[in-house]
Amino acid sequence: MAKKINLEMTSVENREMRLGTIIAWDGAASELVEESDYEGRKEKKKGNDIHAQKHGGCPGNGSKACRLCELKTPLNQQTMCANAIVECQIGNLTDCILIQHSPIGCAADNAWFNLAFKMGLTRRHKPVQNLRIFCTNLLEKDMVFGASDKLRQAIRDAKERFNPKAIFISMACATAIIGEDIDSIADEMEPEVGVPIIPLHCEGFRSKHWSTGFDISQHGVAQKIVNRNPKKQKGLINIVALWGTDYFTDILKPLGLRVNYMIDCANYAELEQASEAVATSTFCHTLGSYMATVLEQHFGVPQIDAPQPYGFAGTDAWLRAIAKIVGKENETEEYIKSEHERVMPRILELREKFKGVKGFIMTGSAYAHGLISVLRELGIEVDGSVVFHHDPVYDSGGENQNSLKNLVEEYGDIPHYTVSKTQAYQLPQVFRRVRTDFVIIRHQGLAPEAAKLGIPALAMGDEHIPVGYDGMIRTGEILLDILARKRFNQVLQRHVELPYTKWWQSQDDPFILSKEPEVIDKALSEKLKKKGA
Amino acid sequence: MAETKTKSGTIVHPHYGCTVGAAYTVAAIKGGVPIANCGPGCMYKQFFLISFDNGFQGSAGAGGGNVPSANVGENDIVFGGTQKLDDLIKSSLAVLKGDLYVVLTGCSGELIGDDVESVVRKYQEQGFPIVCAETGGFKGTNLTGHEIVIESIINQYVGDYDGEKEQGLVNLWFDVPYFHQNWRGDYLEIVRILRASGLKVNVLFGPQSGGAKEWKNIPKAQFNLVISPWVGLKTAKLLERKYGQPYLHIPEIPIGEEATTAFIRKVVEFAGINKRKSEAFIKEESQLYYYFLEHFAEFFSEYWFGLPSQFAVIGDSAYTLAYTKFLASQIGMIPVKQIITDNPPPRYREKIAEYFHNIAEDVSVEPEFIEDGYLVEESLRTVDFGSGVPLILGTTWESDVAAEKGGLLIEVGPPTTEEVTINKTYIGYRGAFTLLERIYSAAVGGK
Repeated sequence: MAKKINLEMTSVENREMRLGTIIAWDGAASELVEESDYEGRKEKKKGNDIHAQKHGGCPGNGSKACRLCELKTPLNQQTMCANAIVECQIGNLTDCILIQHSPIGCAADNAWFNLAFKMGLTRRHKPVQNLRIFCTNLLEKDMVFGASDKLRQAIRDAKERFNPKAIFISMACATAIIGEDIDSIADEMEPEVGVPIIPLHCEGFRSKHWSTGFDISQHGVAQKIVNRNPKKQKGLINIVALWGTDYFTDILKPLGLRVNYMIDCANYAELEQASEAVATSTFCHTLGSYMATVLEQHFGVPQIDAPQPYGFAGTDAWLRAIAKIVGKENETEEYIKSEHERVMPRILELREKFKGVKGFIMTGSAYAHGLISVLRELGIEVDGSVVFHHDPVYDSGGENQNSLKNLVEEYGDIPHYTVSKTQAYQLPQVFRRVRTDFVIIRHQGLAPEAAKLGIPALAMGDEHIPVGYDGMIRTGEILLDILARKRFNQVLQRHVELPYTKWWQSQDDPFILSKEPEVIDKALSEKLKKKGA
Repeated sequence: MAETKTKSGTIVHPHYGCTVGAAYTVAAIKGGVPIANCGPGCMYKQFFLISFDNGFQGSAGAGGGNVPSANVGENDIVFGGTQKLDDLIKSSLAVLKGDLYVVLTGCSGELIGDDVESVVRKYQEQGFPIVCAETGGFKGTNLTGHEIVIESIINQYVGDYDGEKEQGLVNLWFDVPYFHQNWRGDYLEIVRILRASGLKVNVLFGPQSGGAKEWKNIPKAQFNLVISPWVGLKTAKLLERKYGQPYLHIPEIPIGEEATTAFIRKVVEFAGINKRKSEAFIKEESQLYYYFLEHFAEFFSEYWFGLPSQFAVIGDSAYTLAYTKFLASQIGMIPVKQIITDNPPPRYREKIAEYFHNIAEDVSVEPEFIEDGYLVEESLRTVDFGSGVPLILGTTWESDVAAEKGGLLIEVGPPTTEEVTINKTYIGYRGAFTLLERIYSAAVGGK
């Protein structure tokens, strides 16, 4: 019996504690597969601490030998945080309200998730509206005297203005430090407003990686919204997603399935019925594993234990795993065969066009694994990639969900596989080491830096583009447009300087600051000497 | 004066960022590098409202979308974050090219009481151009932060001065960089006007910023020019005390010939410089202006299919005033709702409201001060725009109400996600026509 996620608690254990997540690492993907020891961790999650870990300990880690080696970087640049992730998840529900209990700055990215929300609603054919997130707008006096009354009033305002189906409260750094008790206020106010009030402990400093925010959002939904007395809906499948176009319906309709997307762009009823589905899957384990596991453990909804649906091998295996659950194995074999035949001619054409082309991914972790598969299916060489974190295991511990291992085994190694949390300053070194003709990115900050290095970027804003058989074609077609943009990037490269010192640009190792911190002092004293001279 | 109307002071659909948003004030200085002593998401969040989702402005140099950040974590909260900050400063100095580094401390650092000053002092004493600013997000808006950062640079980097003043040299305190989405184009136009009128300008921000060196010249200026209803006054008063510099406060950003000409005459008069150059420039620009206006008049007079007339502006104090004044007094449009969203300090509000009184002949407007976007939209919803198509100069947040009313929404403030801004200005002699082009292209194109 796998270690159960505790739905009685309002807070979620951080990813670094739960999964051993790291945010800085550099080497070959195959080494990271080894060090991650997914199998051993999986056993441990099941409660069998068999000390199976052959690898993966930092020297001197003693009894904590299962901790993955992680580089510590003195220089970090801006990143997302768990609080922002909660905005992009819970703040993008159509009939529930998120209250950010924070100073106004925490709401400054509302506009970004508004744009994503409106795009998502358009893609899912739902009425387009601006998102409606509250911010308690805390000021200095609230830091001194506390802000609970403001939160109570915000809850009342939310109810009065929008009559939501549920109200979520998100914690911020400031409110966590001054010790706001959002759990008690939620309990106290729930009878008054008559809808579930759900506290989310997602203050930015809590976890070193923002993806903990996915788990916190999903935890809140599972805890208070998902129906505990489900009536099974035959043919309903949960897909844990963001704002992507509804390609999953195209893929799953032949198996007689209806897609229930969660969390972004969903309404209360869609979240509620998650327990009524026949299965749960996702386009990205980084995003979906927690929810899928909670639904499996607490609501008896099985999750699809298969590789992610990218490329031929992944999509085949994923479809077969679903077919097994819905009892459509034979039809699915037919379907897979006809799909291969349908897409193959165009894929062969694309492979021809991409001969000699090199690509590079800079996205979230499990999603990158999918994207690299797609590039390699298209005949594009991938010698390096950057992922923003690495989970050595997922909550499911699913045997067939070890996405990095699946990638390496199916498509070969990635010699320069870097774990780094949107640290743009490392890119001059990264792209000196690995040549590429384009990058595929998500998250801000990296594409503009690559651009100055002459490299065009495909901002994969519609994350479902590469999914499934057609995903390979869609990705390939877009890449042809992106490669043409190289002309723009070359102009930029000819005329625009990088924002780094000569010293930094002369370095070859993106992690030199971590490995040899003394070089920093040397560089600084030289800088001062030059200035003095 | 008008206080925020919500009972709790909550905000839906924010129109400003928080104090650490002033990282963009630093980024706007050539060679300026902000260093955020902040939580992991702070700079990310500010980036969107102030830069990316505000006309997709982008950035140059080390500043904008990749601000070095302490990404303060749980350990730092419990055990203190000064060592981490020290490492961050040290490596930022080594890696990022810059002439002026500004450490901005956010909520976490301020609340746990880290001694940032002593960390920064160590580098100051070694001779690095670095200052620190206390910009905890709970201290207010990014406009508050803008003035805190400027004050920190002046006190810690520019320093004391008792030398000569340079006649005709002016310090320009104008648009808040990035927050005002056309700021780059606006600075180009205002600086062009001032220079052509015979003044020398410490531009300080934007494409013509002279970088840290220029900031060192601040004390040498003859006077400070504040072009804004209230932002910059605090800075001007500081400089008056510190360097004995007088300041000229012009609350209205000039748009169109009449306002710009009056603006020039006021500045030249205050500076006491020879008027020959400025008058020649006024003459030349006026001729050009009316050459174009005459052309525009043909369209404006005989377009058969109706044009918007009654308009609302939702924006900060400076541009709500500037756009309202120009459209009402120069084009003859009818202002029906003006909402100021930048939370000006209460002591300035009466004065700001006064600027809207008698804004054109027989036209007087009573602006509303509302920060909560929900209430902004409720107020806008009640407006009767008369017979024509409603024209709303506002932000993305007003798009739902604009759609309900079948109005034309032109996004002019944060957040703006339906405009791309590169080098654009709606002010001065030249920008006025860009504004008219934008409004009337939308009107004839239906969007």
